[in-house]
Amino acid sequence: MTATASLKRTFVVALAGNPNSGKTTIFNALTGLRQKVANYPGVTVEKKTGKTRLNDGTMVDLIDLPGTYSLISRSPDESIAMQVLRGLLPDTPAPDAVICVVDASNLQRNLYLVSQLMELGRPLVIALNMVDIARRRGLHLSSERLSRALGVPVVPIVGYKHQGIDQLKQALLQAKIPPLPAFPLPEPMTRAIHELAEVLKEPNAHALAERLLTHDDAPDLKPYFQDRSIRHRVESIQNRLVEQKIDPIQADIEAHYRWIEQVSAQAVEPACETLEAIDNRPQSPAGPSNVQPVQVGFAPRISLTDRLDKVLLHKVWGMLVFSTVMAGLFIAIFILADPLMGATEEAIANLGSLLTDRLPDGPVKDLWTDGIVAGVGGVMVFVPQIAMLFLFLAILEDSGYLARAAFLMDRVLGRVGLNGKSFIPLLSSFACAIPGIMATRTIENRKDRLATIFIAPFMSCSARLPVYGLLIGTFFAAYSPWVRGGIMFACYGLGVLAAVVTALVFHKTFMKTVPSSFVLELPSYKIPQIGQIVRVMATSTWAFIRRAGTIIFCLSVILWAMAYYPRLSPEQQEAITKQVAAELPPSIQQEAIDQETESRLAAAQLEQSISGRIGHFIEPVIRPLGYDWKMGVGLIASFAAREVFVSQMGIIYAAGDTEEDVASLEQAMLVDRYPDGSPVWTAPVAISLLVWFVLAMQCISTTAIVRRETGSWSWAIGQILYMNALAYVVALLVYQITSHLMR
Amino acid sequence: MNSKSFERSDHARSGDKADGSGYGPLSCLDVGRCAYVVSIEPHADRDLKRRLLEMGFCNGASVECIRRAPLGDPIEFKLRGYNLSLRSDQARYVKVTAIR
Repeated sequence: MTATASLKRTFVVALAGNPNSGKTTIFNALTGLRQKVANYPGVTVEKKTGKTRLNDGTMVDLIDLPGTYSLISRSPDESIAMQVLRGLLPDTPAPDAVICVVDASNLQRNLYLVSQLMELGRPLVIALNMVDIARRRGLHLSSERLSRALGVPVVPIVGYKHQGIDQLKQALLQAKIPPLPAFPLPEPMTRAIHELAEVLKEPNAHALAERLLTHDDAPDLKPYFQDRSIRHRVESIQNRLVEQKIDPIQADIEAHYRWIEQVSAQAVEPACETLEAIDNRPQSPAGPSNVQPVQVGFAPRISLTDRLDKVLLHKVWGMLVFSTVMAGLFIAIFILADPLMGATEEAIANLGSLLTDRLPDGPVKDLWTDGIVAGVGGVMVFVPQIAMLFLFLAILEDSGYLARAAFLMDRVLGRVGLNGKSFIPLLSSFACAIPGIMATRTIENRKDRLATIFIAPFMSCSARLPVYGLLIGTFFAAYSPWVRGGIMFACYGLGVLAAVVTALVFHKTFMKTVPSSFVLELPSYKIPQIGQIVRVMATSTWAFIRRAGTIIFCLSVILWAMAYYPRLSPEQQEAITKQVAAELPPSIQQEAIDQETESRLAAAQLEQSISGRIGHFIEPVIRPLGYDWKMGVGLIASFAAREVFVSQMGIIYAAGDTEEDVASLEQAMLVDRYPDGSPVWTAPVAISLLVWFVLAMQCISTTAIVRRETGSWSWAIGQILYMNALAYVVALLVYQITSHLMR
Repeated sequence: MNSKSFERSDHARSGDKADGSGYGPLSCLDVGRCAYVVSIEPHADRDLKRRLLEMGFCNGASVECIRRAPLGDPIEFKLRGYNLSLRSDQARYVKVTAIR
């Protein structure tokens, strides 16, 4: 490796390891703040890279791979890890060396990945993490012994204390390609591998033959399967093995584990007395290794995790704690984030007004205040809530509780064809579907993940809340708060119902053939590390601002322009001004007249703008649902963000769009009449609109995220078509039925 | 072999029976009991088989059934010093022999 160092200026080192092995902590400890987060092309897997300097001054590019149990990939995450390690990704250099993080308290399963990495033919260093936890559980591991057994440098590390990081860097300088382990394969399997290796005639033919026989579907093996003679040979050998009652996959993995059992037995420190006995004894030729080491096992002491799980996964207490945690999370997002959201909005408005006051009246000023500042405000107002959501998600995940939540909820969600890991993304979607959809990345089963993404926007997000509030407050004001609360609850319930039905349809129809699997590790509980959590929160929130924010912002500006142009002509303006002056009694103050004139002008302007014209244009389509052109304008505007509906109604009804004006908006809506004298806004209209807002997909930024996370437009567009068609049909039925009943 | 370690109620559902032979599906192991893994059923889906083996359900590995989720499914197991959960639909592909 040192030879290569002089040739190349930077090394590329890949950091691999099982999920929950503490890999991220070690990555952070190695790189500090010199990190970059990007995406692998075409997939949503995050590519985390960082730089670190070795003790001899060599710069190292460190790639933090997604956690993986094996080099045979099932999820996109695992596929990326495998492809980077095998050097198959075009834009990522093949690593010069690999660090594998091994959780000492879960040695055997972690060594499985190591056993595969040893066949990779790349210099390897083991970072033995959580030795302290293993010791507390009664497992005394010796890194020297493990190193000897593996033939690979092993560095003990306590990640969160930054212990052993320097030694790890030192070991990297001496890393060598490890010897191929002698896995105790059954005799026919060994013969089969030899046989195939001879056909292949390549330097690493044995490892290659093993992979071909065990159905490895990595892309670098494609050419071999395309070669007909090799493919036939592989198949005939596989068939012969099956005839001999040997399943190549099972034989291979069991051989790996048998080797792992030997290695882990050798890695355990002998008990103290034995150690003394070894030291005092004259050296036998075989050395200490012929002393029977104590069996790899665990002291009977019950670990803290086991004790916690007795309560947290208990039939009664566990569900109680779970409900409390989830309700607390939910309430916190809405209540704690609320003042922050208000403050953010105000701060942006204040910042905007700094420039507004210096701009001359005209389109530029209007673009600034109503387009740009409003657009930025529209994005930023969600940031406190979303940041908080990401913070809670990070805490849940880092502490180990996320897996427990999935364990507790799996049965319920399994009934509708989802799995336990869908719960948190769906819960998050009640705040905003975007972080919810981003959180589905933890679902490794593709079918379950797609179904979860597809139904997430049915959860009533916080942007719908102002719309619900306006409609319920206006049309059901006469009813008791209980009834109004009940209607609000029904809106949330309708969304959940639609989600359940959709998931079931998914499950029973075209997703039926895909087997769902749910193999979930329940890691030990950990106290979350603040630094790491804040980091995760910051990167996720920034991703939201970058991806959703830009769309919300651009759309706000476009919608502003659509509502702004074409302008009223001076003659039209004059006519309106005169009309107002004529209508109002002369006794009224000039100030009030000016205010009324301004509102009327705004309303007239909106009606003749592009938005207003589109509203008129689509009126025949939305008429059966009970909506007029004004609501059409509101619906179009709500494609930027649903709560914009409220402010658009404010402008149309010339009520202004501030919070205090909502009361006057409610008044204006109630007295609005069609030319034939019938009221525009009736209870059936309000119910129909509520149904529309519950079910319709109107959020362009969510669509963009769906496109990104699923990797295809067809899912995103299919979702829009499905949800909007459903919303249209249900709103139509609800309007027609209720208006007949109330006639 | 103590065939009482397996719940009788699950017998009808699973292909294997915990009869005198002492073998049975992992999904039928009682909470608090330990067993040795014999093999993964050959007819299991290839990906599931591989995943179960990779997670350590190999011949001879000892498994303890820790608990069932409040609604009966999934089931938490301890093997090789760590905990993981499987749905009983998956656990039934693991053939085990009860040990105590």
